[in-house]
Amino acid sequence: MKLKSLMVAFGMMAMALVANAEPKQATGQAMSWQCAPCHGINGQEFNEAMPPLAGMKKDEFVKAMIAFREGTRAAIIMDRVARGFNDAEIEAMAVWFEKQPAIQWENMTYVPTAGGKYEPK
Amino acid sequence: MSQNKITRRDLIKVFGASAVAATGLFGMSAKAYAKGANHVVIIGGGVGGSVCAKYLRFADADVKITMIEQNPEYITCLRSNDVMVGYHTLDELTFNYNTMREKYGINVMIDQVTGVDYDRKTVSTKNGEKVQYDRLVVSPGVDFRFQDYEGLSKELSDTKIPHAYKAGPQTLLLQKQLESIPQGGTAIICPPQNPFRCPPGPYERASLFAEWMQKHNPRGKVLICDPKDRFTKDGPFKKGWERLYGYGTDNSMIEWISGSQGGRVVGVDAKNMTIETDGDDHKGDLINIIPNQQAGKIAQIIGLTNHSGWCPIDRHTMESTLHKDVWVLGDSSIADAMPKSGYAAGSQAKVAAQAIADSLHGRSPGKAIYSNVCYSLAGENYGVSIAAIYEVRDGLIKPKGKSAGVSPITDKPAQPILEAVYQKNWQREFVKDVFS
Ligand SMILES: Cc1cc2nc3c(=O)[nH]c(=O)nc-3n(C[C@H](O)[C@H](O)[C@H](O)COP(=O)(O)OP(=O)(O)OC[C@H]3O[C@@H](n4cnc5c(N)ncnc54)[C@H](O)[C@@H]3O)c2cc1C
Repeated sequence: MKLKSLMVAFGMMAMALVANAEPKQATGQAMSWQCAPCHGINGQEFNEAMPPLAGMKKDEFVKAMIAFREGTRAAIIMDRVARGFNDAEIEAMAVWFEKQPAIQWENMTYVPTAGGKYEPK
Repeated sequence: MSQNKITRRDLIKVFGASAVAATGLFGMSAKAYAKGANHVVIIGGGVGGSVCAKYLRFADADVKITMIEQNPEYITCLRSNDVMVGYHTLDELTFNYNTMREKYGINVMIDQVTGVDYDRKTVSTKNGEKVQYDRLVVSPGVDFRFQDYEGLSKELSDTKIPHAYKAGPQTLLLQKQLESIPQGGTAIICPPQNPFRCPPGPYERASLFAEWMQKHNPRGKVLICDPKDRFTKDGPFKKGWERLYGYGTDNSMIEWISGSQGGRVVGVDAKNMTIETDGDDHKGDLINIIPNQQAGKIAQIIGLTNHSGWCPIDRHTMESTLHKDVWVLGDSSIADAMPKSGYAAGSQAKVAAQAIADSLHGRSPGKAIYSNVCYSLAGENYGVSIAAIYEVRDGLIKPKGKSAGVSPITDKPAQPILEAVYQKNWQREFVKDVFS
């Protein structure tokens, strides 16, 4: 068997294994996207009652979410939301939000380089 | 193909001649695609379609995305109840697709989809376009079942018995009708059977009508004739009605007739402005029948619905279980515990965008996590909400952890006042998530 077809065969076996396994935890990004309708695209909303999440220190995010979840911090709605996430999921979102630029989303522009990305104007 | 050197011919090859001409695709940010780049076509530029387009761009910078929408502008249903009582104008709820084109490099075609050839992976349109896809997304909203009511028709809904459950001319018609109710007259609202778009919508509408009448027609009354015995957030809604409109007293401005009390409407006599229900007939100065619903018409035409009239999907990805490489989002989909809301449509669109990008790159998607928050107004400064995070369990989309819950009923005035503040914050933010 040629090396290439061997690699293809291995690749397919690996994919079959993955297909049978429990799906892995959602990524920090995928979960954080769910917060956008209130906290802004990527958490980049700095002019509203609901606080921005972009650039928030990881520990601050984790502490707040766990306090909401455990009912030790007063809430209007975040207690009900936070009860949907376990520690690992909260951590993954915290890591992702910390990396987002603390810039209002409207001030970001698309840069059409290879791969494309959004940067401050 | 080098960056920025994309020619008109390249574009025409990718998108078709009239698409390039019609959309002014050349004006958008100079986004060049590699030869053989994957093409995702999205039917419907409402909430589900637009959010999917945009987040697919985040998930995959190099995929070609075409969104086909029949109207050049989109009017959000969200907050359209406010328009009827003067808290918003329809203009404030109207959005165009310029940002979609310019900031996200999405080819928006204004055209109506008429069919799909799954073997050839081609979408056809009213203007005679044929658009090839690698992955197809369908998010066409809902279709109304006028046939469930004796005497009701689409024509009647456009002229005399508006549903105002798609924002636009009917929203303004209902507003005019509210203003024309004689002093001491009655507005009748008939919510549909489950499942339907925006489950709190009819009850929020009743609330805002009552609030409007307090100021302009103090002896007026809102009568809700419901086929159901419960409705979403009914606890906090009824508490709000008690506090604001005397609900439960003889002088209540809102009366709710449940299904078991004979509230289900079966027909309408538009000439005499009377509805027939399982119980009594009722005369109204305004009759707002919100008909039962099913998946958007195009989803039915292209065979994405099952016996229920809605579209079955793989709960992990939102991919249709009836056709391969096709995704169904939003109101049209069968999403179990998730309501048919804009928030839910956007949430599903993000999960689907990631799943589509993963499928194009041979990755397996992570666990699907969805969310929904619906804020409604029981009064201009009185908000009620329902919130949940969702996961797939035992083959169904179910609330995750102990997240599902409606507004607590407390004696603290801060709760509903702050919920009303959040509601307005949410609306501004949500439309940005869709269109900015
Ligand atoms: C009064 C009211 C208040 C509401 N308030 C809220 C709220 O506060 N919060 C909330 O989350 N949700 C709210 N909703 C619900 C929300 O509007 C819907 O759930 C949401 O719009 C669903 O998104 P969708 O993508 O499924 O459909 P839509 O947003 O309706 O988009 C469907 C799009 O597809 C297009 N289309 C259909 N067929 C074709 C075709 N053949 N070719 C081309 N284009 C086509 C349509 O023109 C439309 O633009 C409200 C609804 C109503 C009626």
